[in-house]
Amino acid sequence: SCLSTCPTITPPDCREHALSAAANRPFPGAAPRHSSDGQEGQEQPKAWDPALLEFLVCPLSKKPLRYEASTNELINKELGIAYPIIDGIPNMIPQAARMIDRKAQDEEPKQT
Amino acid sequence: MAASIGAVACRALHSRRYGKLLSIGRGLFSGARCLVAEGETHFGFQNVSETEKGEKVYHVFESVAKKYDIMNDSMSLGVHRLWKDILLHQMNPYPGTQLLDVAGGTGDIAFRFINYVRSQWEHQIKQKLKSHQNLSWQEISKSYQEEELKLPGGSQVVVCDINKEMLKVGKQKAQHLGYSEGLSWVVGNAEELPFNDNKFDVYTIAFGIRNVTHIDQALQEAYRVLKPGGRFLCLEFSQVNNPLISRLYDLYSFQVIPVLGEIIAGDWKSYQYLVESIRRFPAQEEFKAMVEDAGFLKVEYRNLTSGIVAIHSGFKL
Repeated sequence: SCLSTCPTITPPDCREHALSAAANRPFPGAAPRHSSDGQEGQEQPKAWDPALLEFLVCPLSKKPLRYEASTNELINKELGIAYPIIDGIPNMIPQAARMIDRKAQDEEPKQT
Repeated sequence: MAASIGAVACRALHSRRYGKLLSIGRGLFSGARCLVAEGETHFGFQNVSETEKGEKVYHVFESVAKKYDIMNDSMSLGVHRLWKDILLHQMNPYPGTQLLDVAGGTGDIAFRFINYVRSQWEHQIKQKLKSHQNLSWQEISKSYQEEELKLPGGSQVVVCDINKEMLKVGKQKAQHLGYSEGLSWVVGNAEELPFNDNKFDVYTIAFGIRNVTHIDQALQEAYRVLKPGGRFLCLEFSQVNNPLISRLYDLYSFQVIPVLGEIIAGDWKSYQYLVESIRRFPAQEEFKAMVEDAGFLKVEYRNLTSGIVAIHSGFKL
């Protein structure tokens, strides 16, 4: 599931971009993180620097992102994609991003 | 330029080792990098599809990441350190400077930036102390505590690299060396940077831009993320103009570096690519024109070590 990187519901221009990006996909998709508990949860505050959010935008739409602590991802709600933060390093490569299933979006926090 | 590429290719063709370059030679002589069929680019001396280049470059750096620093030292006999120091001197960042270092995986530029900003800050404090002899020592110790907590003046450096293996090495190095505040790591593509417009005072890319598939796009992105008044600085291998040095340099590049790569990193091919990619990168004037095309003004370059590398500088005004 984590390999499905291609957003389906996106504005036309970004969608085209995202689709072609996903089609090329030189890099393996990154696994989504489920890390709200345990050691990882303790490590993350120092590993991931939320001050970065001031600079970071979605590389496709150039719009601001929201940090989702429960999945440790950066979310672009408009395009429905989530960029993983792995070992405290946000991976902002569209090919590594995860497509958020809109229907499951509300349920997601409960899973973790 | 086409002529100079031809010359390089000729020289390369004379080398027995690179007989297979004949096929690539066709691409070179038929009009150089800018004119190869659409969707095609080069990977070292091979013509490959654009997607393939991205993948191949990724694998090169994935495989060399762990030995990258040792290799840089041994291949350049340590001179790459001086080149990077010179880059920092040219940047001359003040406390508060926001730096984006693209393709800066192992942190060489970022760590130098932090050291530089700290020393600037210390210098400023000394000046202040000279003019305010009556500062209480609580005030003095407070200023030092602040310095330990974060970078002076709120300086920040964001290291962005497409290769997470390189970043991993950089981050470990940072932990080992005790750099943490004001330093962030992001996996991102120079051609579509994940940063907001007008955010950085300085954009650096050191020995990175020649590995980017669409250099023009990377330059446009650099322009976009820089604040008005911000500065673009690029340290990259360039063209040696002295014929004698050029001869020796070629000999060293093609005969010695891949061997070193094999001995130290167990990876001949990656280092052969590095050498070839250096030869395919535009010479000083051509790259200067590309930087200007992206919108930068006051574009200048200076050669270091007879043009083995050059620093290009431009401003977003």
